[in-house]
Amino acid sequence: MNVTYNWLKEFVDFEASPEELADLLTMLGLEVESMEKLGAGLDDVVVALVEEKRQHPNADKLSLCRVNNGIELLDVVCGAQNFVQGDTVVLAQIGALLPGDFKIKRSKIRGEESCGMLCSEKELCLAEESAGIIVLPSGIAPLGTPIFTALGLKDTLLEIGLTPNRSDCLSVIGIARDIAAKLGLKLNRHSTAVVEGPESVDSFIGVTVHSPEICPRYAARYISGCTIAPSPEWLVKRLNAIGIRSINNVVDVTNLIMMEYGQPLHAFDCDRLAGRQIVVRTAHDGEQFTTLDNQQRVLTSSDLVICDAERPVALAGVMGGLNSEIENTTTSILLESAFFKPAAVRKTAKRLGLHTESSHRFERGTDIDGVLRALDRAASLIVELAGGVMARGAVDVYPGKSDRSAIPFRPEKANELIGINLEHDVILDILTRLECKVSTAADGTVSVIPPHYRIDIEREIDLIEEVARLNGYDKIPATMPVSRVVSDLPTRHQEIEKQVRNLLVNNGMTEVINFSFTAPDAAGKLLLAADDPRHCAIKLANPLVDEQSVMRTTLLPGLLETVAKNMNFRSLDLKLFEMRRVYLPGAGEDMPHEPLCIVGAITGSRDGDGWSRPNEPVDFFDAKGIIESVLELLDIGWISWSTEIPESYFHPGKSCRVLAGREQIGSVGELHPSVQKNFAIEKPVYCFELDFEKLVKLSKTKKTITAPSRFPDSTRDIAMLLPEELPAARVVECIKSEKSKEIENVQIFDVYRGKGVADGFKSIAVRIRYRSFERTLTEEEISVLHQRIISSLVNKLQVTLR
Amino acid sequence: MREKLEQLRDGALQAIAASSGVEQLQEIRVRLLGRKGELTALMKGLGSLAAEERPVVGQLVNTVRDDIEAALTAAIMAAEERVIVDRLSSERVDISLPGRHPLKGTKHPVSLVIEEICSIFAGLGFAVAEGPEIEHDWYNFEALNFPPEHPARDMQDTFFVENNLLLRTHTSPVQIRTMLKQKPPVRIIAPGTVYRCDSDATHSPMFHQIEGLMVDKCVTFGDLKGILTVFTNQLFGQKTGVRLRPSYFPFTEPSAEVDIACVICGGKGCRVCKNSGWLEILGAGMVDPEVYRHVQYDAENISGFAFGMGIERIAMLKYGISDMRLLFENDVRFLRQF
Repeated sequence: MNVTYNWLKEFVDFEASPEELADLLTMLGLEVESMEKLGAGLDDVVVALVEEKRQHPNADKLSLCRVNNGIELLDVVCGAQNFVQGDTVVLAQIGALLPGDFKIKRSKIRGEESCGMLCSEKELCLAEESAGIIVLPSGIAPLGTPIFTALGLKDTLLEIGLTPNRSDCLSVIGIARDIAAKLGLKLNRHSTAVVEGPESVDSFIGVTVHSPEICPRYAARYISGCTIAPSPEWLVKRLNAIGIRSINNVVDVTNLIMMEYGQPLHAFDCDRLAGRQIVVRTAHDGEQFTTLDNQQRVLTSSDLVICDAERPVALAGVMGGLNSEIENTTTSILLESAFFKPAAVRKTAKRLGLHTESSHRFERGTDIDGVLRALDRAASLIVELAGGVMARGAVDVYPGKSDRSAIPFRPEKANELIGINLEHDVILDILTRLECKVSTAADGTVSVIPPHYRIDIEREIDLIEEVARLNGYDKIPATMPVSRVVSDLPTRHQEIEKQVRNLLVNNGMTEVINFSFTAPDAAGKLLLAADDPRHCAIKLANPLVDEQSVMRTTLLPGLLETVAKNMNFRSLDLKLFEMRRVYLPGAGEDMPHEPLCIVGAITGSRDGDGWSRPNEPVDFFDAKGIIESVLELLDIGWISWSTEIPESYFHPGKSCRVLAGREQIGSVGELHPSVQKNFAIEKPVYCFELDFEKLVKLSKTKKTITAPSRFPDSTRDIAMLLPEELPAARVVECIKSEKSKEIENVQIFDVYRGKGVADGFKSIAVRIRYRSFERTLTEEEISVLHQRIISSLVNKLQVTLR
Repeated sequence: MREKLEQLRDGALQAIAASSGVEQLQEIRVRLLGRKGELTALMKGLGSLAAEERPVVGQLVNTVRDDIEAALTAAIMAAEERVIVDRLSSERVDISLPGRHPLKGTKHPVSLVIEEICSIFAGLGFAVAEGPEIEHDWYNFEALNFPPEHPARDMQDTFFVENNLLLRTHTSPVQIRTMLKQKPPVRIIAPGTVYRCDSDATHSPMFHQIEGLMVDKCVTFGDLKGILTVFTNQLFGQKTGVRLRPSYFPFTEPSAEVDIACVICGGKGCRVCKNSGWLEILGAGMVDPEVYRHVQYDAENISGFAFGMGIERIAMLKYGISDMRLLFENDVRFLRQF
């Protein structure tokens, strides 16, 4: 809502400066979002007198002027023809900055010096077009007076961001009313007395309302014999100041009154209304109608239309029709002032994408009891500006008129909830200042009838808010609540989420956050099988762009895109993870599932480069190691790494699924070269995925800790050859299957292929640490045990000792 | 015998004096004093001596051994000392070379801010609650007093999904889910991802909020002001000015916008605060009775407040980030700075 300082001042006589007013409004909940000083920066554009005017020696169309700015005589070259010596004009002096960032400088024009510029209305943005420079009435103001001061245009435009509940403030009077209430000042109202002709309105027009449920009130006045003409300057300037274009005297009045009273009005050319009748009804499905903006609209039965005896002439509350608009030849006017139900107007405006000043107000709710006041004021002003005669009386179809009911109100409740301690009288005075009718019964109970224009006040809590608001939020003391103790530990899910995130970050990984929505083919880029459930994504009905139109079912595509993007910026050593939800459709009517997942991608050098770094590239085991540390953190055992049925997006020879028992909890591997290509990634990437929800379920709540043995250890190494296809892990499993209490630890410490090892074989070296909890083991005991293990390896796995 | 002993001693002392390394000295010890050493061999001759001579020679053997031992010990210590001195004088590193440290990982700034805010509120007794992002219209709007066709719905451009589901436009539905599950006292904080169909330099279609809710007996608007003052002071510094001004949300009444004194200019007015000196950081208010009605709380006997804030906005202010899109571009050159 745009309003100017001077306009508000017409209604309330406050003393605040524009800045103080802006602050006051903001603290009343009418947030001033911006302030614009009209004519600011134009102080160097002043009233001046043309003392002398002669022909420019070198140009036919230019003249040389000596201009008096009240201080000195200046030479100015001018191209306009519409003035003579002795005229009072507008001079932009050197240094003035005109709209459009046009700076006035001393210059030479065709060899003659010019110390300024004589301005047109267009150049000062006072009009859209102008034929020549401004010629002011002589003596309008002392020479040298800034032009905006001289023209009385000095004003401040306030742009107020209104919350949807304050529809009453979509009007100058509404805002003025709040100022008056806050400052305890009187609101100056215009007189709404009307001068009417002798003949009754009913003899000129008729109104029938078929849809009172959508249009509970429809009022109209009739004016005949008026003359459509341009509006007077004060009206044009007032509308221009708040950004409304002047059209003609009648339309401008309807706009002015809408801005002042918040009541949208519409003027019909009555001679163009068939039968001089207004019929309010819902449209027929498919009915067509051309609105003022020359657009053909197809209507539905939920749209309300204003019709004449034959056809629609306006889209109720939204926009008038081309077929009945005011034209230059119009002489008789039917002026409409009505109340339309917010939801209906909203629906129509939204469906047609037609948002107007009128629909904006009706959608938020107008004052049904202010309909006549605005109508009378507008009709009077039209007669004043366009002449003609107003018919006697107004048509007013208002069948369901009812008084507002009183709201029981407890001042102590207001104090209690706000946390203040005002005297009851003070509280009631606040409500009275807001034009509420406050009455106190004999038993002390208070009831309050809010003013008709405050449709947002319906309940006691609404009144309490008004008390807090008008008294001032800044007067409420900040206190700490006195409350019962609640003991709520973080849930296990939250605790583990934090632990895992910390672990990954401590492992050198950087967390990324991608959008939850992706392109529909994102899962396809992973080469997933046709029946893979990750193809079934939840679709958005109204996506912004196709690339963000479905909810992701896997985090991998987003992360891979991030990898590609970073590589494009030459960040080649990446360790990234994302720990966010995926969105899986629920069965039938069930809500979708939103499990938390973890996905990681590593690529490039393991430790980054530098003088002391081996600069080795990461590989499968770096990715696997990260999973292992997560599993270790959560104390999850019974894990197996399965290479059967590899994930489609991984290199089948360098990937595996991670199983806990039979359940898959994740996977890890080198990205499949084709998938790598699909995501335009230049270098090999190793990825891992973990199902966080399963990790939480499997994690142990209790860690069991054993005291370390106090006896010495002894280590023995075994080097052996085994066929390539035999996984090294089988060696460790085989050793552990001996289930000897004395085996403290088994570790593979070397894997070797190459010279001395036949093709198809690998050499594995294992170190076993023996130690007892009860005593020092003797050489013989260890040897016996070690020999047993060796035989077992040889017999069960057919390894060859080296 | 005596002579042999003295010869042995003299020879030993000479050898010790002549040797330089620790290893050499250890060898001398073994050669002379070891189990199969020369002194041990000599001592085998003791038995053949006369009885009266034996104690005297035995005494001499001990003296010789002690002398050699003492000389050896002294020489070894000196040799070890020399080794240390040599090492210290010869070994040098170029300490100007950069140190070696494990690669640093970082949390996303959104995670960092969420963690920080949750921990401030944990200190005030607020537990963390969560809820679905794909939400029912009822939880996201109706139960929060946004009736269908209400203009307040325009404040939040919504992404819709089939079956009357939508992407939640705020974390406020968690209030409803929490109150339906438990009776007062309630004190929760709910961080989460939210969505609105809007995208430019200051709006992202996906962003994050933190919701707070406290319901108990006799909670006042002043308490809301108190809690938020403590919170903003902890997050932005002890002397950050806080201002509440009237506003409107369908699910709170009275409602407030909460401003802090501009952290960039300190309240003097700058581009970030649009010369107002204030930065809007959260919305808040007393829970509207209509909300209590939807969760079957008795509005007459309890009261409470709710507040919500945008995480990105706070991250941008805290870290001086001017474009919200940076937060979701995931450029590691940006992320690694946190």
